[in-house]
Amino acid sequence: MSRRAMAAACLLVAVAAPAVAGDTSEGTILALSCAACHGPDGVSPGSIPSIDRLKPSEIEAALKAFRQGTRPATVMDRIASGYSDAEILLLATHFGKGK
Amino acid sequence: MMPAISRRGLGRAGAAVAASAALGPVRANAARKVDVVVIGGGFGGATAARYLKRFAPTLSVVLIEQNRVFHTCPFSNLVLGGLRRLSDIAHTHERLSGDSGVEIVHQRAVALDAANRTVRLADGSEIGFEKAVLSPGIDMRWGELDGYDAAAAEVLPHAWKAGPQTALLRRQLEAMADGEVVIIAPPANPFRCPPGPYERASLIAHWLKRNRPKSKVLILDAKDRFSKQALFRQAWAQLYPGLIEHVPASDDGRIVSVNASEGWIETAFGARHTAGVINIIPPQWAGAIARDAGLANADGWCPVDPSTFASEMTPDVHVIGDAAVAGQMPKSGFSANSQGKVAAANIVRALAGEEPVSGSFANTCYSLVAPDYGISVAKVYRSTAAGIVGVDGSGGLSPMDAGPDVRAHEAAFAEGWYASITKDMFG
Repeated sequence: MSRRAMAAACLLVAVAAPAVAGDTSEGTILALSCAACHGPDGVSPGSIPSIDRLKPSEIEAALKAFRQGTRPATVMDRIASGYSDAEILLLATHFGKGK
Repeated sequence: MMPAISRRGLGRAGAAVAASAALGPVRANAARKVDVVVIGGGFGGATAARYLKRFAPTLSVVLIEQNRVFHTCPFSNLVLGGLRRLSDIAHTHERLSGDSGVEIVHQRAVALDAANRTVRLADGSEIGFEKAVLSPGIDMRWGELDGYDAAAAEVLPHAWKAGPQTALLRRQLEAMADGEVVIIAPPANPFRCPPGPYERASLIAHWLKRNRPKSKVLILDAKDRFSKQALFRQAWAQLYPGLIEHVPASDDGRIVSVNASEGWIETAFGARHTAGVINIIPPQWAGAIARDAGLANADGWCPVDPSTFASEMTPDVHVIGDAAVAGQMPKSGFSANSQGKVAAANIVRALAGEEPVSGSFANTCYSLVAPDYGISVAKVYRSTAAGIVGVDGSGGLSPMDAGPDVRAHEAAFAEGWYASITKDMFG
């Protein structure tokens, strides 16, 4: 292989290589668990409510109310209890739309 | 599509180019090489493959799955109870290849060579990888129960892998006479889907009540206690009084031998049982490909890092789902899905030269006791230095003594969960 061809091959490889991992921030990692019930990206295809159209403040308030037991729930009270205030804020920011 | 090569692959590719320039053509049998090979297209593997492409669309991801149609174990008990057809729990990997850009190879992965980072397929070809994800699920531990092997399972089905075994057990139920007994014999822990045998007993009782009203279910258990026990017992007393009998191990419930041709099973203390239908759920261990690759411990399960799911036995091979020792997480489809995403995130990070992130996981296991009666157990989990542990104060069981509206809600949410998680897996 000529030096030029070699350089071209390396350039091609460099362009194709993933520069960085996609979004694997803490908020994204926390949010991964939600999809199994609420659907991919919070868009539910079934009977469980979607969570993709809520404001961050609505998500935060709902999760805190579930955690405190002040909002009626079947399972979300048990799930929300697994997250701190800071984590709830990250989840709210991840799924929330607008302000 | 242009093949993607990771940074680590770049060094290897460069070396290969240099070697071929110096030594002539590369050996003809050199393995084809991709970034990530995923073995097993179920709850763990399909999810991992899909999220690998979501996190890093340029990665080359090959999913190896021997079956063109995947039947979910979740909701297979509804098929046994006559509430779903087998086709209702059948899924393909078409959208994974079409929309998500995962290459699907419908072959059996025969052997994994962790040292050389290759996987050999049934047709003899090999695929090389930078990282592998193994999600092989469980294999039955044939012979642990004397006389129970793959041939015996064609007579006395386990139906603990959904598909033909589910159909066989369903046919046997339909063929049995009114008044005959259905035996379900669950194993000791750990095994796939801890509440599953008891959901199965419930939904079979639901069917018997309407179709074989003189019949009943006898559970011969290798354990004394089982998942969601108090909730199941409360529901059985309400819905199926006298229809389900549970014999714990301490009351000679544990079976030790099976005679498929004569149709009887025997307990530890020598009590012999015959029945109209016998469903043996045998002891299990990690799928063969993981054990054969040396990834399992003495108990037959695969110890892994609690954040990356990298095997403790070898780097660059990650084990998720039922085959893995995932700390306090149960062997469930939800767990496998949750683990697949965190493993995918950390594999993408590793290939980009970044440090792993700590995992956050959840699990909710719904069980249907009747079509409108659901119960659940849930928990949030985190990666820690001591393995994967449940978050204090999170999770727990559905409440005892709840009204029919709560049970109906949970039944509806069980169906919602099934719709969502299969969408999350297959796109």
